[in-house]
Amino acid sequence: MDEKSSEMRILLGGPQGTGLETASQILAAAYAIGGYRVYSMREYFSNIKGRHSYIGLRVNPEKQPLAPIEGPHIVAGIDAETIFTHFTEAIQDTIIIYDTRVFKTKLRSIASMEKYFRDRVRETLEKSNYDTTVEGALRYASEELGAKSIGLDYQAILNDFSQEIGISKYQAQRYLNTILVATIANITGLSLDELKRGFKRRFGSKVEIIEDNMKLSAIVYKFTADLKDKIKIPTPHHSPDEYLVVNGNEVVAMGKIVGGLRFQSYYPITPASDESFMLETHENLENYVDKSGGIVVLQTEDEIAAISAAIGSALTGARSATATSGPGFDLMVEALGWAGINEVPVVITYYQRGGPSTGLPTRGGQQDLFSALFSSHGEFPRIVISSGDHEEAFYDAITAINWAEKYQTPVIHILDKFLANTTITLELPHLEKIAIERGDLLQAPPPNYKRFKKNGSPIAPRVVLGAENAVIWYAGDEHDEEGHIIEDPINRLEMHELRMKKLEIAHQEIPQEERAVLYGSGEDFLLVGWGSTKGVALEAIELLKREGYKGAYLHLRVFEPFPKEYVAKILSRYKPEKIIAVESNYESMAAKVITMNTGFIFKKHILKWTGRPIYVKELSLATLRILEGLSSREVLSYGA
Amino acid sequence: MVLRADYKTDLWVDWCPGCGDFGILAAIQKALSELKPKPWQVAIVSGIGCSGKTPHFIYSNGIHTLHGRSIPFATGIKLSNPDLMVIIDGGDGDLLGIGAGHFVALGRRNLDITVIIHDNQVYGLTKGQASPTLQAGIKTKALPEPNIQDAINPIALALTSGYTFVARAFAMDIDHLEEVIKRAIKHKGATVIDVLQPCVTYNDIYTTQWYRKRIYHLEEEKGWNPIVERPEERYEKLGNALSKAWEWGERIPVGVFYEDRTKDTITDRIAQRIPSYYNKPPSKQAIERYGKPLLDDAKFREIFASYLVKVEK
Ligand SMILES: Cc1ncc(C[n+]2csc(CCOP(=O)(O)OP(=O)(O)O)c2C)c(N)n1
Ligand code: SF4
Ligand SMILES: [Mg+2]
Repeated sequence: MDEKSSEMRILLGGPQGTGLETASQILAAAYAIGGYRVYSMREYFSNIKGRHSYIGLRVNPEKQPLAPIEGPHIVAGIDAETIFTHFTEAIQDTIIIYDTRVFKTKLRSIASMEKYFRDRVRETLEKSNYDTTVEGALRYASEELGAKSIGLDYQAILNDFSQEIGISKYQAQRYLNTILVATIANITGLSLDELKRGFKRRFGSKVEIIEDNMKLSAIVYKFTADLKDKIKIPTPHHSPDEYLVVNGNEVVAMGKIVGGLRFQSYYPITPASDESFMLETHENLENYVDKSGGIVVLQTEDEIAAISAAIGSALTGARSATATSGPGFDLMVEALGWAGINEVPVVITYYQRGGPSTGLPTRGGQQDLFSALFSSHGEFPRIVISSGDHEEAFYDAITAINWAEKYQTPVIHILDKFLANTTITLELPHLEKIAIERGDLLQAPPPNYKRFKKNGSPIAPRVVLGAENAVIWYAGDEHDEEGHIIEDPINRLEMHELRMKKLEIAHQEIPQEERAVLYGSGEDFLLVGWGSTKGVALEAIELLKREGYKGAYLHLRVFEPFPKEYVAKILSRYKPEKIIAVESNYESMAAKVITMNTGFIFKKHILKWTGRPIYVKELSLATLRILEGLSSREVLSYGA
Repeated sequence: MVLRADYKTDLWVDWCPGCGDFGILAAIQKALSELKPKPWQVAIVSGIGCSGKTPHFIYSNGIHTLHGRSIPFATGIKLSNPDLMVIIDGGDGDLLGIGAGHFVALGRRNLDITVIIHDNQVYGLTKGQASPTLQAGIKTKALPEPNIQDAINPIALALTSGYTFVARAFAMDIDHLEEVIKRAIKHKGATVIDVLQPCVTYNDIYTTQWYRKRIYHLEEEKGWNPIVERPEERYEKLGNALSKAWEWGERIPVGVFYEDRTKDTITDRIAQRIPSYYNKPPSKQAIERYGKPLLDDAKFREIFASYLVKVEK
């Protein structure tokens, strides 16, 4: 099964610390400026230098790709390990670019490669009688899979370059990534001028760096003259005038800034901290909002402090949040309960990675749904929102703070590593569509103000700490209207019930079709998923159309308050054996949450927990197997 | 709204009769009565323990947080509204055991908060276990066996963490404690007062009588001057304070160990990067206009210019 694609898929690989990310940024910028839609995902080890990392780029003239897909058209490797790691991913006509000096390199000499992976590669090669060398791997790719390999003498290119600009060979090594960039640019039909736009974009005012890179690129274009336009991507016709080129962390930070966030506390953790860095970069808003204004970004001593400080900030009326991933969230849950009982509008931006414990710290997953929904002792209302792509993430970041203030309760905004570290082209948001809703927030207290005086209504008017004429108490203990400790059973009965009822109000007020969104109307099957399953599910459904199966995708956006009636209604339209939960975890957590809320029990599951994202074709094939009655539970494992 | 000159609430104070916490509460209330902040301009933040109840008894904003977390809660409050007078009441277990990391962090930030340690050497509210300030070898009333863990020295820890005002006082000497509290509140920066607080129920070793026999006032020591007026004096004065910090036994010093008037605070540093910070801290900024964001499309483009790509066809 393959789709006739007009898009270009590129896999760039090399040791961490050799500028692969920069390379992908340059290429992404160059294509985006050319009007292409770009998707760029990144896989890397928990390591700073030396281990293998790779970037999967998709460049599409028409549609925005939102998921990785198998079958790169170009595989470009800085080193031998890239070839060994990815040669089996080649398809008919894939161009593999490698350094001729590693041609004879033996598999067993690659010390940075994990033994299990190396053993599997050896097995693959030996089983088909190929040498366990780069040469053997390249021959395998060409003879078994139909790929073409193109060797370049990277060092010869760098020699020419170092002589031209007068630097040492050693200094020239840091330009290795530019060889890949220029080779790919030449193959895919970018002129040197078009490539230069990418360098300019990436290096801004650093004119010398841009010039040096252009000199090297010109040399590479000469070396690769016969590859020019080899797989030219069709010209885009309907591109907008401008794009944002952003990853998930960045787009959430943008949402928070637009949404009026004024305090963020965090403790460094992958894949969340880049968001806080971005906020700090933009901390001074004086030129933009009312000639005054800024965001205080505080790096705390741990995540307990991060959430505690964010809560303290929220008490004073600032919009506040913290961002973390699983291990950090674990430390936050006691304070989450404090925010719950004290009805504090605070946002936790929760980027899932592979757990449990340290797990797969730089890889992805969707294993933290239960943790987001159920962690912390006692009962209290919380809202849990999940974003499936960059656009959702931007608006959700704002909605999260709005709902936190409206319902006076903590909001957990779940994302994942796949989204956080994937860069895409995104059309600009429409800010006039955005509402800032602060809920029942009073500037000044009415006479005899009591923070928790509810008069039977679950949401009490809120006055912030420090407001003139208001004296307010808060306690983690059960409290009376004033916020003082009280263990009286009848007070407990009423206070607890009123707090819990806020969720019912939210359930009535927030349209259910916004909390679960149905894409497509195909009647043959229904995929059900959440988070970054969205992109891959939508593309798989397209692909399956060509196989004669028409499907739809039910995308869960809000897990609390859960849109139970709407979800039950959609599910009831399909036969149970045609409803498939697709998730990046073992337990099928979202399916269980649906069962809990609707009584519907899933019979079919497609699951992946390798820490790598779900790819379009593996999902399509697994769906086919299920639809054809061959299986009930498919476990996916594509991707190095 | 009523103002109460004595800063007392109407609640029954439910500490054991004779508890040193009464002295601390009275001293805080007296200090406030003299400094006369409006009750809404004060935030008393506490952790969990007998000491944690303090804010409920003071007529001003009170935030009774989690065990060990008063400092980070207070940090978020103070950074978002630096106009508030923020005072922390915490137990020794709370601040120096479960919350010790935060205690160190506040010193590093020199944020303008006053920390009052209710130092009773025991975990009062959980019925008398050893707290981190109880010396090894001591067996207070509830302990099954003598303590086998060494004690933290709160003064030394505060000094080395970067607090710019470090003092000790005795809960039963309310007038002196009140003076120290006032000085601490007026000091610009992170301040610690280690208050020796008898726990009449669980601490039968460090009693009021025991302390009375040993306490002496640093202020009365000839030549004692803990104040840093010029940065060059810092290390010498820190050294002096540290050696006093280890004095314990027959003579126990109370009073101000160290006061550095030369160091900037974290809010000063924030204000260097965001000049309008003190005028418009996070809690005092407008963030919407008629329910819409303050940023419009044009400003969005400007702020995020580095993420914007103009398509060149
Ligand atoms: C996370 C957590 N662990 C344990 C407790 C139980 N606990 C309540 S008070 C307390 C110790 C109090 O001792 P201290 O901080 O010295 O305050 P004191 O009662 O002596 O004033 C403990 C351990 C808790 N409330 N929270
Ligand atoms: S247990 Fe000790 S610290 Fe607690 S109230 Fe009683 S005397 Fe005071
Ligand atoms: Mg204690």
